[in-house]
Amino acid sequence: MSIFHKISNWFEDAAYIWRQEIKQVFRDEGVLIFCIIVPLAYPLLYSWIYNNEVVHEVPVVVVDQSHSQLSRQFVRMCDASPDVKIISYAEDLDDAQSLVSRQFVKGIYLIPSDFSTKINRMEQAVISVYCDMSLMLTYKAIYMTSMQVSQAMGAEIQKKVSGNYTDREDAITTRPLDFEDVPAFNPAGGYGNFIIPGVLMLILQQTLVLGIGLAAGTARERNRYSDLVPINRCYSGVYRIICGKALCYLMVYAVMSAWLTMVVPRIFSFISLIQWQDLLALMVPYLLACVFFGMTVSCLVHYRENVMLLMVFISLPLLFMTGVSWPQSNIPGAWQGVSWLFPSTFGVRAFVRMNTMGGVLSDVVSEIRCLWIQAAAYFGFACIVYGVQMRLTRRHAQERLEVLRKKRENRLLLKQKVERS
Amino acid sequence: MKTLNLIWLVAKRECKILYVNRIYFFSMVVFPLLAMVFFTSLMDEGLPEDMPVGIVDLDNTTTSRSLIRRLDAFQSSKVVAHYPSVAEARRAIQENEIYAFLYIPKGTTDDLLASRQPKISYYYNMASVMSGSLLMRDLKTISTLGSAGVGQATMRAKGYTQEQIMAFLQPIRINLHQVANPWTNYNSYLSTVIVPGVMMLFMFMISAYSLGMELKFGRGKEWLKLADNRIVVAILGKFLPQAVVFLSLIFFYEFYMYGIMQFPHQGDLWDIILLSLLEVFGSIGFGIFAFGLMPSLRMSMSICSLWAVLSFSMAGFTFPVMGMDGPLQSLSWLFPLRHYYMLYQITVFNGFSLIDAWFHFVALVGFTLLPWFVIMKIKNAMLHYVYIP
Repeated sequence: MSIFHKISNWFEDAAYIWRQEIKQVFRDEGVLIFCIIVPLAYPLLYSWIYNNEVVHEVPVVVVDQSHSQLSRQFVRMCDASPDVKIISYAEDLDDAQSLVSRQFVKGIYLIPSDFSTKINRMEQAVISVYCDMSLMLTYKAIYMTSMQVSQAMGAEIQKKVSGNYTDREDAITTRPLDFEDVPAFNPAGGYGNFIIPGVLMLILQQTLVLGIGLAAGTARERNRYSDLVPINRCYSGVYRIICGKALCYLMVYAVMSAWLTMVVPRIFSFISLIQWQDLLALMVPYLLACVFFGMTVSCLVHYRENVMLLMVFISLPLLFMTGVSWPQSNIPGAWQGVSWLFPSTFGVRAFVRMNTMGGVLSDVVSEIRCLWIQAAAYFGFACIVYGVQMRLTRRHAQERLEVLRKKRENRLLLKQKVERS
Repeated sequence: MKTLNLIWLVAKRECKILYVNRIYFFSMVVFPLLAMVFFTSLMDEGLPEDMPVGIVDLDNTTTSRSLIRRLDAFQSSKVVAHYPSVAEARRAIQENEIYAFLYIPKGTTDDLLASRQPKISYYYNMASVMSGSLLMRDLKTISTLGSAGVGQATMRAKGYTQEQIMAFLQPIRINLHQVANPWTNYNSYLSTVIVPGVMMLFMFMISAYSLGMELKFGRGKEWLKLADNRIVVAILGKFLPQAVVFLSLIFFYEFYMYGIMQFPHQGDLWDIILLSLLEVFGSIGFGIFAFGLMPSLRMSMSICSLWAVLSFSMAGFTFPVMGMDGPLQSLSWLFPLRHYYMLYQITVFNGFSLIDAWFHFVALVGFTLLPWFVIMKIKNAMLHYVYIP
């Protein structure tokens, strides 16, 4: 056989496996759900959940024991702020607490009876703020609003007592050192912009691994000896199997990743600062690493459903290990090490930094490099495990052949016996 | 008596199945334990400490340096690097070296002493909301203190008392009461809901899985026969061992959280026990219901897994449900984790009485009773369906 013939044979076999795999993706309900429907629908659902980005008008109850012009000003200013809404007035703290317990309000502003008196006496007045700590976002809204309002009112009081002549003097008295806070990269501090990029990348990896695992499980169940690799002339080499299968998933996921990373953020107008060249440079190693990772995992499961039990629950730990919600610098070393096993760790980090933080490829070089290393390593692992599977298949095939041969021999012997007698 | 005997027989059979198939051991014991260890150890600090912060100090005076030293002393921030320009500091954020930086322009001290109101700025990365808002708090406090420091020095020189100075610099003080979690401990805030959520995920899937496996291996008839063809007995017997395993695991976790980790809780022991019972029975009920709706192993497990993963968002313990769109707010009622979270935060975390959470209590009881609607369908499936891969 000439070398040219061999190569063309190789390609034909790979293409055959590719076609078989594609057929399976669209025929198997489970694979169809996880490879097509979930990547299409889930991002939309998640984006919808977080699309409001911030919490406005957190309900708060006021216990105003001062009943003064100043206390009413404080309440009015809090109510006028975007984050807090005063929905009720209570007589005392117990009354207010019963509103908290019934989930009508998330916090209490308590203005003591000496509030106005103390300010007029030029003493420090105190306002107590009670927050329901079961929700961090509402706690932040209630606390920050009261801080800002108290500072604004305090500045007015400072101006009154300092007896300045000009506005400029007033400004310097209240704030000798001016400061400006600049929330970079997600200026509104929106929850959607913060969590969605990570979730999108994670959905890609998880559905891909689940899809490959389910398809492998189905292939085993269809097989007489529950082998992963069928007895077929085209499935005669490890590389052609892996390349053929990988091509199928890469083809489907090229479309899916374009949908997730380019279309979904635009539909919900999430931040999307990434350039297409950078995106391509990230997605190619990411998808390759995910596909080979999925193939490696798929060899470990015997029943199709087991891969679901294994992969679904690690979604949340994986999201935490990317450093999106819990800061990367504070993840314990052991878990950092574990996180290097998964493509999503680097994929999410690189994507967030280019997509949300406007970085360029040179800012995420180390992540891209890690993804290529993972892709190569998992390709190696996939080759090894598929090699093992192929050897199993061959052994089963040989055993089957032996059995058939023995049967034939027996039959021949029987025939001869019958003829002889 | 006979019924109890039958239940016992079915339960014994189930125990054998649980013992033989290793995946049960993994997903009922190993993985949940792994999730418990993971989340509690990941957030062991409670509040992220010493996050990397950069400095762009173009002023370089004793005043600016004292500002930086003070920032370094804060709990959340740690000054790790100085940068010569804002552009380079921004690049360092994009390369993930720092999460925020403080910019002190040239001439700040001169302007401060000459009362020309200089301006310093701080930039923080809100692409990660938790680290961003914690650092913002530190940097804001520093700037306010810097401002107050000037006024304090002037007033002290003029001979005012400390009380007078405080009353002038901060006429209204906010006295913050962080009810039930005064340390702003994120571990007790997240691990108390996420880990039960992961447990729910396994309970959903294992309930559907164990029913589906009967169908897959054609053991459904044998199972029903053992229970004298009484489906209620069969179901009770089948899920008794699973409920016991999950319950003991959850009680262990509650003990670990409240006994060893000392997470704050206002509710008493009975609230915790009630919550755990409702969690286990509600979740198993949901899993059986999902299987009854679509008596196919693959479909019911897909539904359960998708539902369980979605419930982490729909429970609203990170992004509140009241911030979501109207239809989603109603949809959140369909997620057992949502009711679990509400019941937890009302009765256990805040220590209010159960009557305040009656709706969520009823909802979880409702989830427990859901299989009632599909129980005949399951029986039918077991007797007549043929497994199609």
